[in-house]
Amino acid sequence: MMAIRELKVCLLGDTGVGKSSIVCRFVQDHFDHNISPTIGASFMTKTVPCGNELHKFLIWDTAGQERFHSLAPMYYRGSAAAVIVYDITKQDSFHTLKKWVKELKEHGPENIVMAIAGNKCDLSDIREVPLKDAKEYAEAIGAVVVETSAKNAINIEELFQGISRQIPPLDPHENGNNGTIKLKPTSQAGRRCC
Amino acid sequence: MKPRLVFEESQACSRVSPREMSAWTMGACGLEKRGSFFKLIDTIASEIGELKQEMVQTDVSLENGLGPTEAHSMVRHKDDGYSEEKDVKTCPRDSGYDSLSNRLSVLDRLLHTHPIWLQLGLSEDEAAGVLRAQPPGIFLVRKSTKMQKKVLSLRLPCEFGAPLKEFAIKESTYTFSLEGSGISFADLFRLIAFYCISRDVLPFTLKLPYAISTAKTEAQLEELAQLGLNFWSSPADNKPPNPPPPHRPLSSDGVGPASRQLCLINGVHSIKTRTPSELECSQTNGALCFINPLFFKVHSQEIGGGPKRPCTRTPPDANGTERPRSPPPRPPPPAINSVHGSPQLSGPAAPASMPETVAHHQHGDGARLGAKPTPVPPPRLKKQASFLEAEGGAKTLIGGRPRPEPAAGPAGGAGGAPAAAVEEEEAPRDCTRARPAAAPASPSRAPWRGGRQRLSDMSISTSSSDSLDLDRSMPLFGYEADTNSSLEDYDVESDQETMAPPIKSKKKRNSSFVLPKLVKSQLRKMSGVFSSFLTPEKRMVRRIAELARDKRTYFGCLVQDYVSFLQENKECHVSSTDLLQTVRQFMTQVKNYLSQSSELDPPIESLIPEDQIDVVLEKAMHKCILKPLKGHVEAMLKHFHVADGSWKQLKENLQLVRQRNPQELGVFAPTPDFVDVEKIKVKFMTMQKMYSPEKKVMLLLRVCKLIYTVMENNSGRMYGADDFLPVLTYVIAQCDMLELDTEIEYMMELLDPSLLHGEGGYYLTSAYGALSLIKNFQEEQAARLLSSEARDTLRQWHKRRTTNRTIPSVDDFQNYLRVAFQDVNSGCTGKTLLVRPYVTTEDVCQLCAEKFKVADPEEYSLFLFVDETWQQLAEDTYPQKIKAELHSRPQSHVFHFVYKRIKKDPYGVIFQNGEEELTAS
Repeated sequence: MMAIRELKVCLLGDTGVGKSSIVCRFVQDHFDHNISPTIGASFMTKTVPCGNELHKFLIWDTAGQERFHSLAPMYYRGSAAAVIVYDITKQDSFHTLKKWVKELKEHGPENIVMAIAGNKCDLSDIREVPLKDAKEYAEAIGAVVVETSAKNAINIEELFQGISRQIPPLDPHENGNNGTIKLKPTSQAGRRCC
Repeated sequence: MKPRLVFEESQACSRVSPREMSAWTMGACGLEKRGSFFKLIDTIASEIGELKQEMVQTDVSLENGLGPTEAHSMVRHKDDGYSEEKDVKTCPRDSGYDSLSNRLSVLDRLLHTHPIWLQLGLSEDEAAGVLRAQPPGIFLVRKSTKMQKKVLSLRLPCEFGAPLKEFAIKESTYTFSLEGSGISFADLFRLIAFYCISRDVLPFTLKLPYAISTAKTEAQLEELAQLGLNFWSSPADNKPPNPPPPHRPLSSDGVGPASRQLCLINGVHSIKTRTPSELECSQTNGALCFINPLFFKVHSQEIGGGPKRPCTRTPPDANGTERPRSPPPRPPPPAINSVHGSPQLSGPAAPASMPETVAHHQHGDGARLGAKPTPVPPPRLKKQASFLEAEGGAKTLIGGRPRPEPAAGPAGGAGGAPAAAVEEEEAPRDCTRARPAAAPASPSRAPWRGGRQRLSDMSISTSSSDSLDLDRSMPLFGYEADTNSSLEDYDVESDQETMAPPIKSKKKRNSSFVLPKLVKSQLRKMSGVFSSFLTPEKRMVRRIAELARDKRTYFGCLVQDYVSFLQENKECHVSSTDLLQTVRQFMTQVKNYLSQSSELDPPIESLIPEDQIDVVLEKAMHKCILKPLKGHVEAMLKHFHVADGSWKQLKENLQLVRQRNPQELGVFAPTPDFVDVEKIKVKFMTMQKMYSPEKKVMLLLRVCKLIYTVMENNSGRMYGADDFLPVLTYVIAQCDMLELDTEIEYMMELLDPSLLHGEGGYYLTSAYGALSLIKNFQEEQAARLLSSEARDTLRQWHKRRTTNRTIPSVDDFQNYLRVAFQDVNSGCTGKTLLVRPYVTTEDVCQLCAEKFKVADPEEYSLFLFVDETWQQLAEDTYPQKIKAELHSRPQSHVFHFVYKRIKKDPYGVIFQNGEEELTAS
């Protein structure tokens, strides 16, 4: 039997960039009876296999409006990963993303896995943020990056697979504790479990 | 419903679907269901009757004289309750307590003697050492370090080659089973009991040591159990302490182990003729526990009520033969078996502030080790004699002697409400609920009794061999106490108990007057049928709660002392966070203690699968610690909030926010209308009545669900946090309930940390966020304050809760200010002061002068030492704001507030690099 690891993932990004659409797409596509439905789209869970573990993502959505900014720490604390979303058609949202990355580096959990999602790639004809920029930036900060389209279900799975791969497998000796949530931030960015 | 109940479907007792059952257990006795309630009972009763008939036919020959009568009576029970009742009276086996003492089921025997065979701490070698000297079939249960599992070590006969074999015990979320077997059990005792009767995947059935299988009374078993591991090497083993009673069917055992085995096989055979197909089909279906539906459940009642009965009430009836029982809840544990939790515990678990606890405890311990019965008033003593008794014992005698009950109830605990009273309270409530059904029922009450009787009879007939010898006249009585609660959501109920609405209590009273006693007891008995489905989890929680009220146990002392300490020392906590944190810590420590100590009898591992232990303990903590403290904690929280001004601030801001329209709050989704807001308010009010943080969170989730429903308004649109948080803020403001603030705080600090990352944690965080937004609504300040202060608070909260088990640093307390005091004479000392956000430096200085007993306060001032520099703080600055500001800086700074002598220096601000070297706090 595979061990289930619960991984808290927080979603950051400007309001309107499609944070919750990405999660809804991720959680609701390929409907799977193992998913226990949640009461709303702000908090969703999905379990995916990774190597010999099962990763249960506990996805915490945050409100992107500036006025709620100060509450964000509460949401990203203890996260194993953060998905930071921007809208490829809005340069501003990419700036906001950089602010989030900075904040996470300073105040976020140590070794939090960061994944950058450039959403709305179905609208690339009105793109404002070149893919190249995002890639370079992601590389500089050691983050996973993909352009996604929640609307057309592009790269959504890949985004979370990328996160899964960045989560280091549990230390074998820790497997003994059962029943508790194992949230262990990446200790070595390079280690992969799948 | 829990998988454990699956079995009901599979065999004879099964028309009751688990779903239906659960509905009943939850107490959903709506009027419209009245009819089916009785149908249900009837069904069960008739099923049992059939089953019994079947069994009687197979087993009658083994019933040793009583069989025929019994068979007769049983067959008749099925059809005629009244005559059955008579039969019962004439049937010696069912007539009274005298038969109880010498008729112990295999399950009883196991339960009483677990200190002998349940040796979780034993190594493989040690187990082999013990078993080698034993005849085949003898077993131990231990925990294999290799496999990290419990194993059944079984002594094999020589022809098997190896002297013993180990069988791994599989634990799923709710059940125990042997590896490779499809039959699973609610707990370890039932598992072992089953394998004493049926071999299933074993090469042969398990055998109890001779002394255990022939013990006549519980007292004898207890005596054996006292030996613990030493039993195996003591003369008690293999030597019957008393000659086996001649009239017993198992007297054939008396001849020796070999014949006993025969008898067992016989018994097994008689069962097997009925069951092999069942066994097989269950095999393929994974863990299906068809075997124990009623059979073992009935036993469980006996364990609970039956066997304890004689000792529970000290025996004006029937117990002439009983010996005084030893007081300890559990015999002194064998060295290897259990690390006795107490010595190491007294340190961490007993807060330093309560030394008397420790002393008390040691005393108790001594008594326990002293092993000989103290002539303590029996009801208390007995009370904790063993597991299940809690539920079983108290009500056991009701049928016969309703009056002694209150006296004998778990009233033991000081401080807490006497449990007897609680039960009294519950019983009528139970009736209230069932009352509509009661009237039609009363004429036919006898059949119900018949049903009950049949249950027990069934077990008699099953128990043709001694191992199955179950007869008890009224096994279900033992469960009545339970029953009442099992029919309702006990925890919720008791959660509300603290403030039962007037209407309800009135009803209660009515019902107890209106309902004739008989009807009431009938109802109780009926519900007894369901109680057999009470989960081990609930039983465990109740057992722990019982223990917590019993001051003679270390655990009871710890809890009672802590509860009264908190209630009596209101000034010992400086802030609400401080208070809640220490309570949380206490619960965590007590949980650790319980999981390690030997005070739980039987050990929790034998009843609850390992991955559930923490969950069960957590529930128990809520019940025995939070429940009695709820009122006090609430009052204190409010007190703190009023004192620090946040109550007023919230009140004012709530008014401000309520006047805004939704759009001003950033709401762009449909919002709940007046009616919905009222509904939400009701839910919040219900929340306030709960003591369990988990249950409160459940209600919060329901509120959030309702909000989502309104927002989505059948549009199919999914709303994320961008939309939800503003709406939640709006709704909370509309509800206008100041108490929500303390509710949220209560939940955030007391919720089991393992739940903080889940859905509950998420919405709790959101609710906290919404409240902080409201609290800081004063427009011009909002942005700035939140970015430093609130954020600071949030961060600290998170730090505390995620690094939960470490002792919190005082810096985490939001209204604390740690001030170091530097004095020429006394060097450097530190004190933590309660400093509210708007307290000025001037005030802090004054406070410091007091606290540090400074004679010449005008010579001193408050300094901030940060980045290697000293800064004297101006009188009108706010130290807490400064602290918050420092905390919110990107890099974390090491800083100290220091109260020290002002240098005779003309300048107000002094920079002294390293000159006045000081390591504050």
